Amino acid sequence: MKELWTRFSKAFIVQDRWKMYLEGLGNTLLIALIAAAIGIAIGVCMAMIKYINKKTGKLKVLAKICNFYITIVRGTPVVLQLMILYFVVFAFWDNGIMIGAITFGMNSGAYVAEIARSGFESVDDGQMEAGRSLGLSTWQTMRSVIIPQAVRNCLPPLFNEFIMLVKETAIVGYVGIYDLGKIPGLIQSRTFDYLFPLLIAAVLYLIVVLALTKVLHMIEKRLAKSDRNGGGVTNGK
Amino acid sequence: MENKKPLIEVKELSKSFGSLEVLKSVSVDIMQGEKVVIVGASGSGKSTLLRCLNCLEDPTGGAVIFEDENIADPKVDINVHRQKMGMVFQQFNLFNNKTVLQNITLAPVMLRKRKLRQEKIRHFFRKGEKPTLTKEQILEEENGKAMKLLARIGLEDKANVYPSTLSGGQKQRIAIVRALAMNPKVMLFDEPTSALDPEMVGEVLDLMKQLANEGMTMVIVTHEMGFAREVADRVLFMDGGVIAEQGTPEEVFGNPKSERLKAFLAKVL
Ligand SMILES: Nc1ncnc2c1ncn2[C@@H]1O[C@H](COP(=O)(O)OP(=O)(O)OP(=O)(O)O)[C@@H](O)[C@H]1O
Ligand SMILES: [Mg+2]
Repeated sequence: MKELWTRFSKAFIVQDRWKMYLEGLGNTLLIALIAAAIGIAIGVCMAMIKYINKKTGKLKVLAKICNFYITIVRGTPVVLQLMILYFVVFAFWDNGIMIGAITFGMNSGAYVAEIARSGFESVDDGQMEAGRSLGLSTWQTMRSVIIPQAVRNCLPPLFNEFIMLVKETAIVGYVGIYDLGKIPGLIQSRTFDYLFPLLIAAVLYLIVVLALTKVLHMIEKRLAKSDRNGGGVTNGK
Repeated sequence: MENKKPLIEVKELSKSFGSLEVLKSVSVDIMQGEKVVIVGASGSGKSTLLRCLNCLEDPTGGAVIFEDENIADPKVDINVHRQKMGMVFQQFNLFNNKTVLQNITLAPVMLRKRKLRQEKIRHFFRKGEKPTLTKEQILEEENGKAMKLLARIGLEDKANVYPSTLSGGQKQRIAIVRALAMNPKVMLFDEPTSALDPEMVGEVLDLMKQLANEGMTMVIVTHEMGFAREVADRVLFMDGGVIAEQGTPEEVFGNPKSERLKAFLAKVL
């Protein structure tokens, strides 16, 4: 018992090592947040291009490019994508956190594109027809009617993608970025004990993921409630 | 018809979906103020013809002349013309993410704000007058107009609710006034009562009769033969992608010539 406590203390308390975990956790969340923002921007743009292409036949070349991008990103391991960006594309740049965020943003964009596409497709075709029949352009109708409904429809899977990002970014340690997943290794190199640092990191990931999952359930509940009340995206006044 | 110039001229219009030829060189004139009812069996091309009138379906051949312009030509700005052609759908298609009031004001406000922005830019470069209205005034005007339209159908109290809380009949009447808010020159109806419970059909048909009495030009696809008899100036019977027979309701319903029309009437009357 005493011995376990010493090991824990060495892994967490001695020399304020808990600060390292917090810092790592902060970096993990920062990378996930920036990546999510980039991913949503890329994914929604691609989904919109594909949707407009499907509905009107326009933007053929762009739609082809999107499909190509999605195939490449989804068909290769993200570790390799990270190394390509870190060691080759951004070799001149030493901001590891940003490079990690960009990698995961570009990666998650390909997945968000699929989520957003199904969000767009869940919006009834009649909505676009009604907008066009009133003399609004495709883009005006997208902006005011289609996108708000699509966003609402894919809010839960998008949030889920963010939770995935928090966990998946743990591999940025491979290129020496100090995220939460990297911290156990750093501490082990000083205490020669892997068990507790790994356990602590795992528990921290678990706490964050569970908290985010709770938020996800709250979002889902709220959406379901506004469905029952007939509320739209803005959820009433 | 006192006015001899047609409002819409359809000339040898054809439409195919892939290899399926749905409209086969259809020609018809819609006169100013005329009420034209289109009847025919399922799949005969009624909806397709109606949807070609405002190019919601792109015709594969022929012309649709509206206000001296061939709007089937891909080079014309179809949005400008659609603003003057209201359309009412079988499934209502109210905007789910907008309140009833916003449903009515969305298009007019958006389009007028856009015009205002363009006017401001032109004025900035000294190429035009200073716009007389502000954004807020436009919004106020359109809200007022929308409330009047809602009052007309007795639904002012529904202004701030979302469509999903309404009955089918209420939705369809709001869809009709949403189209009216654009001050259209013609209203196109595609089976406006087919998705309604029987007890709600009356309220929608009544509103359409009011419009007819006010002189609105209307093109209506419907299975309501009683309504057609009462309101139509002309009935078109479509069969296999052509207008197989047409005339006044008395002629078409009372004295059908072709066997196909007789068979169709025997089924629906
Ligand atoms: N977008 C489309 N793609 C392919 N085929 C279509 C499309 N729209 C209509 N069609 C076909 O065109 C034909 C005519 O359709 P249309 O909707 O004009 O018939 P309708 O007379 O309105 O019938 P209903 O009374 O059932 O509404 C049908 O065979 C239909 O399957
Ligand atoms: Mg039809």
